[in-house]
Amino acid sequence: MFTLANKNTLIIEDFTVFARSVKTMLYSLGNQSVEIVSNAEDAIQACRVKKFDILLSDYNLGESKDGQQLLEELMVFGLLSPKCIFIMLTAENTSTMVMGAIEHQPDNYIAKPFTAALLKSRITKAVDKKETLSSITQNMDKKNWLEAINQSRLTASENPKYRMSCLRSEFKCLKKLNKLDDALNLSLKIIAEREVPWALQAVGEIYFLQKKYDKAVGVFKNMTKKYPMNLEAYDCLAQTQIALGQSIDAQETINTAITKAPKIVKRQKTLGSIAEENKDFNTMSNAFRQAIYQGKHSALSSPDEYVKLTYGLKNLISHNGRDLSKDKLVVEAEQTFKQLESKFKNDTGTIIRSNVAHAAFSKAIKNKEDIDKYSNHAKKIFDDFEGVLSPQVSLEISKSLNEIGETDFAEAIIKEAIQQNLDDKDFIKQISNFTQDKNLIQNCKKAAQHNEKAIFYFSKNDFESATEYFKKASTISPKNINIALNYTQALLKLSKKSKNKIDILHSASDKLSELNRMETSDSRYARYSELNRLTQIMLSNSTLR
Amino acid sequence: MTTQPKNDYFSLVLASTVHDMKNSLAMLGQSLNHILDEHNLNDPSSKIQKDVGIVQYESNRVNNGLMQLLALYKLENEQLPFSPSYHNLFEFIEEQTIILAQLLEAKNINCEICVDESLDAFFDANLLAIVIENILGNAIRYSKSKIIISSKIEDHLVIQINDDGMGYPEKMIDLEGDYMLGINQSTGSTGLGLFFAKQIASMHQNKSKTGYIVLKNGGQLNGGLFEIHIP
Repeated sequence: MFTLANKNTLIIEDFTVFARSVKTMLYSLGNQSVEIVSNAEDAIQACRVKKFDILLSDYNLGESKDGQQLLEELMVFGLLSPKCIFIMLTAENTSTMVMGAIEHQPDNYIAKPFTAALLKSRITKAVDKKETLSSITQNMDKKNWLEAINQSRLTASENPKYRMSCLRSEFKCLKKLNKLDDALNLSLKIIAEREVPWALQAVGEIYFLQKKYDKAVGVFKNMTKKYPMNLEAYDCLAQTQIALGQSIDAQETINTAITKAPKIVKRQKTLGSIAEENKDFNTMSNAFRQAIYQGKHSALSSPDEYVKLTYGLKNLISHNGRDLSKDKLVVEAEQTFKQLESKFKNDTGTIIRSNVAHAAFSKAIKNKEDIDKYSNHAKKIFDDFEGVLSPQVSLEISKSLNEIGETDFAEAIIKEAIQQNLDDKDFIKQISNFTQDKNLIQNCKKAAQHNEKAIFYFSKNDFESATEYFKKASTISPKNINIALNYTQALLKLSKKSKNKIDILHSASDKLSELNRMETSDSRYARYSELNRLTQIMLSNSTLR
Repeated sequence: MTTQPKNDYFSLVLASTVHDMKNSLAMLGQSLNHILDEHNLNDPSSKIQKDVGIVQYESNRVNNGLMQLLALYKLENEQLPFSPSYHNLFEFIEEQTIILAQLLEAKNINCEICVDESLDAFFDANLLAIVIENILGNAIRYSKSKIIISSKIEDHLVIQINDDGMGYPEKMIDLEGDYMLGINQSTGSTGLGLFFAKQIASMHQNKSKTGYIVLKNGGQLNGGLFEIHIP
């Protein structure tokens, strides 16, 4: 029998009197351990200190983050245990699902006002569902897609009540496994029975992945007509329209979704990027402006929207030269640079990016002095920069540098980006138009081929050939982190069976020391530090003997 | 900085007003319970229970009315989310009776659910919940001692709410769907509840069929019978 007696509960509610009344309700249900906070920041802090079993959060939390943003941050920061139940307290019971395109859904909703009995019923149901589906979610979290499918089928047969949730998980796993035909059949079978909205959308998603764009458009248009508040369908439709080259239509589609729910930062950014492509700089600026505004309380906001806003403003000024509003736009851009550089002051890559954007902006307002000031500043920081710029940021920076005549600096950025991303074929194709150095591209292709070959040998446990090819790749492209890590991993394997064990381990250690200034925020840092640890252990073991 | 589309303003004002009023209702209810506790008035036999029941019933009605108005406004502006899904029918109905449990108790009405516990049905639970809560609230108002909620599957799902009251006025039954014509200020019948129920029913469609509601007199308890048909 389910009991609340041993649960730790946190109430997040800005309306103190109401929070206290919920606490009283929980007491009456036998739940003794109940804490109250009045905003999302305090909730995050509380979750860092203590593991709660139940979170009851109001959706409207006043000025700062709302309940949905709270949930997202708790998930992203890993502050919710897998068993924790998150229940959203809402003002109306028709507001669920409105958000669309949100990755993290609460376990249940409850509309105010509610009674203790209803609260208990909702908590009990959420706990039951989470526990019943836990074997599926655990496997999905570990990316054990095949086992997750097995568990979905098993759970569905034992608990027919959760059949749809199980089928949905199965669909997600099939999609992850790239078994598109199976995923399509599954969703078609569901909608043949009843037109379940997620399954209908799933059909469209698979058509999209199979590049059957016309069919996908048909499905998504049908969805937006029948379920005008299912906003995810608009996102999918816009994505398909872009794939078909219909970026004007895509902009209109996203715009419709935004009128229905203006608070979603991710969607505002999508609109901004599409508008940029359409050279609609007014919409572009406005969308990134909104993205900043709506995300201002979020710990998950990114430098992107700030930088892109300044580019939007720059284009607005360049295209309406004599417009009276120019001064206002200049002030806004300067403020945006200021906010950007203070908010992300520890992120060196972003500071370089910001200075280059600032130089490009100075060119648009014909301020020669500032062009030099900001580009020199960027150059100075870049010279000592040990981190890695993402492919798209590198592209943006080098484009702007070319625009202001800093072609050598642009070339340096591109060279670095190509070296770092030579295994990303689409990117290499895209960026090759921006460099004069055809040799560089050729070399990169060569290094990528060596890398691929080496991976093949590695998978066949032929570590000698693998090391040989990784070495070749690494000689051509010494700065590429992926290759360097692959190379050391192969060296460690090779050393186990080799007579020159110590020499090999030393070269692994040397290779790793070239990476020792890698930023801890880099997604490859964990792999780097694990390889480093292993190398040192193996070295000390073999020198001792 | 924020540019909202024009027609969104009213929706925002309406939503925040509803939010605010619902908070007030929650406070009223909570304060009432507090007063009852403080003064040891929770004895079910106490004469005050009748008045408590009235307060609960009326605040429930206000709350439900607000929900319906907001939902109808959103429906008109294509802002009402419609997300049908499979639900266990028994659990769904049971939850509506839990919401009204205090009221049922206060009026000493026995509410029976005659629904197959293994039955899954396809509908929008959020919207149908507002309908059932409203109809059930009315049934509580008019019935003497018993309500039966039952369901049957013909070629589609039918949910029935039977009460042992006087039944619906013939005039209302004759309206056959034009419930807005039933507005009668003197009896307090606004037509809202039935109009809303009809709208929500008709949002549910399957193949060529559309949902509808039916009012009858008689039924299992020889009183009023409300039926909502969900294809």
